[in-house]
Amino acid sequence: MRSVLAVFIALIKGWLRSKVGIFFSFLFPLMLLLIFGSVFGGTGSTKYVLHVQNFDVKDGEPTELSKTFINALDSIEIFEIKELDPSIDVNSYVKENPSFEYNYRILKIPKGFEENIQEKSMAVRLNVVVNTFAYIEKNFSSYMKESDLQAIKEGQEELEQWKNTFPTSERAELTFLADENDISAMAVRSILESVINAFNNRLIGVEEQMMTITSESLVEKNMSATDYYLPGYIAAFIMTNGIMGTTSIISELRRNGIVKRLAATPLSKSSWILSNVLQQTVLAFMLTAVMVAFGWVIFDVRALPNLYALLLIFIGAVTFSSIGMILGGIIKDVEAASGAGNAIAFPMMFLSGAFWPIEMMPSYMQSIAKCLPLYYFHDGLRNIMILDNLSGAYVPFLVMGTLAAVFIGIAIRITKWKEL
Amino acid sequence: MPEKVVEVENLVKQYKTVTAVDRISFDVYQGEIFSLVGPNGAGKTTTVEILECLRKPTSGSASVLGFDVTKDETEIKKKIGVMPQDFNAFERLTVKENVELIARIYNIKPETKQILEELGLWEVRNRQFHKLSGGMQRRVGVCMALVSDPELLFLDEPTTGLDPEARRNTWEVIKTLKKMGKTVFLTSHYMEEVEQLSNRVGVIVNGKLIATDTIHELISKYGGGIKVNIRGRKIEEAENILRKFTENISYDKDIVTGKFKTREEASKALAELYQLSDGYRIEIIESGMDDVFLQLAGHRVNERGELI
Repeated sequence: MRSVLAVFIALIKGWLRSKVGIFFSFLFPLMLLLIFGSVFGGTGSTKYVLHVQNFDVKDGEPTELSKTFINALDSIEIFEIKELDPSIDVNSYVKENPSFEYNYRILKIPKGFEENIQEKSMAVRLNVVVNTFAYIEKNFSSYMKESDLQAIKEGQEELEQWKNTFPTSERAELTFLADENDISAMAVRSILESVINAFNNRLIGVEEQMMTITSESLVEKNMSATDYYLPGYIAAFIMTNGIMGTTSIISELRRNGIVKRLAATPLSKSSWILSNVLQQTVLAFMLTAVMVAFGWVIFDVRALPNLYALLLIFIGAVTFSSIGMILGGIIKDVEAASGAGNAIAFPMMFLSGAFWPIEMMPSYMQSIAKCLPLYYFHDGLRNIMILDNLSGAYVPFLVMGTLAAVFIGIAIRITKWKEL
Repeated sequence: MPEKVVEVENLVKQYKTVTAVDRISFDVYQGEIFSLVGPNGAGKTTTVEILECLRKPTSGSASVLGFDVTKDETEIKKKIGVMPQDFNAFERLTVKENVELIARIYNIKPETKQILEELGLWEVRNRQFHKLSGGMQRRVGVCMALVSDPELLFLDEPTTGLDPEARRNTWEVIKTLKKMGKTVFLTSHYMEEVEQLSNRVGVIVNGKLIATDTIHELISKYGGGIKVNIRGRKIEEAENILRKFTENISYDKDIVTGKFKTREEASKALAELYQLSDGYRIEIIESGMDDVFLQLAGHRVNERGELI
């Protein structure tokens, strides 16, 4: 292990001192982030269209609460809200609008939305008060005078009785319609859910309490287009660093005899591979940190990688640097090796939909994208980082984990430690 | 006889169509500098790399420090020091960092001050490898080979591509290795280098080892003796003296050359020549590895290592 660390440090130092290495691994991605961020970061192009059909109408006017709810949705930059008249039959409307294909997303606000919510929220508020009494009684009764305690108990009973006079109303059920082939529907839905959560909390007045800090931030996250793209950029450049960077580093080290020099020491082949993969992993984390920091300062990006995101980034770095080890191990000529790296990395970068919403691509291209490892990498990262949707990252984790194991296995088989 | 540190028996390395090493056998003894000399493509590097466990032999046997190269790879690698052909280190690491890297791989304390000083690298220890001159780079290579304190060092063409001064400096470094008591296995296509440095030499051409012996023995067997060149006004007088001691006399323009098999024969002729040395000039040319190689292989090797 000490020798792995020693070689890893040598590789990192060498990389940090190489201007070309720094440029391609860090500055180039940042430049692209800057360009893409400025081009797409403005208006329009990255919004999800959400149709809202509001049935909660009183005297020909939408109710206050339903209006507030729609405004709340509208204030989320990633949504473009289009209201549909309640008289429209959505089924035929979708069929008559071929431009939708399967990219329609309709949210139905039911009749009685305001009424239901108001009643429900009153009941919930009362519950909170009653429960608070119970809590006080349970924990602090020993510090209280008997008379005070008695007063609290009486108040509590009265409240219970009053609570029972309320009709037990149904929850307001919102209906979300989307095509099963619509990939972004899941994203839209989970954003919707977070809006509803925050809305719920505010209705029962939880916002004054400690609890809301987390709930509020879901909505306050206020995602921008750059938020949406950042995980894609991070994934894409970890891929290019892994494939293009590692390929040219390895073939160069083979050409100039350093691999042979190391092979003549007691260093084992797997230690050598491990050192390289470790270097790429650290580089991937550094790149992530720099990209997020840059996005935060310039584009006000709020999407931060959590522990799961870091785990996926690690798996991605292993996968792509192993591919680089394989290419660099097969192709000895430095130029040819970096050519091969480019030939794989560039098409993958653009075909996988890392730089734009995949639904913008024609369906056959979408099928191609789903054959590429990078698709699962950025899809997983996006699910974790901006949608907080860990279950959406199960498949990416599974695919990337398998690929990482397979490619590192091939890299170990293919790397020559003899007959160099 | 000192202990054998390398034993090679009928070693063969066959590539698809080429036999790079063709049934060679030799031994290397502890404390000596042993050289494999021959032109490019003769099989020097292939042989060395089999001994370094970097290549698998096709057949035959080879052992290093008592370990079989096909079985005890790790043991051998722990005990040898290597400087490969066209040696390079991590170019953006400093001299010290490169040497320490190797020390860490061998799991020894990276205390490199003494060795850097011994090899004259202490002053440049913080300079990046690619900023060093060719000669200094080779010195770093020797240092990296030496840092694990190996019993046996393999230096594969340590001076190829260096200018004459850097080459001579590297020779001095190699001589200090011998003083340290190391066994050195050297390959080279420079006859002068081999003659300067080695105790024993193997002459290799086309994968075949055509002679193995001490420098002294090789020169006296195959060197073609000592040449005495005479030029000047009284050249005929001198020629008559030469004839008394040797029949082997040749002419080239205004030079007469007498060849003697041994030093003793030559010194008798020279004694007489010096008595009358007015009117001509005497030049004594002792034969060297160049002549040995010419005699054995029928060719010379030029500066670039090609057969001519």
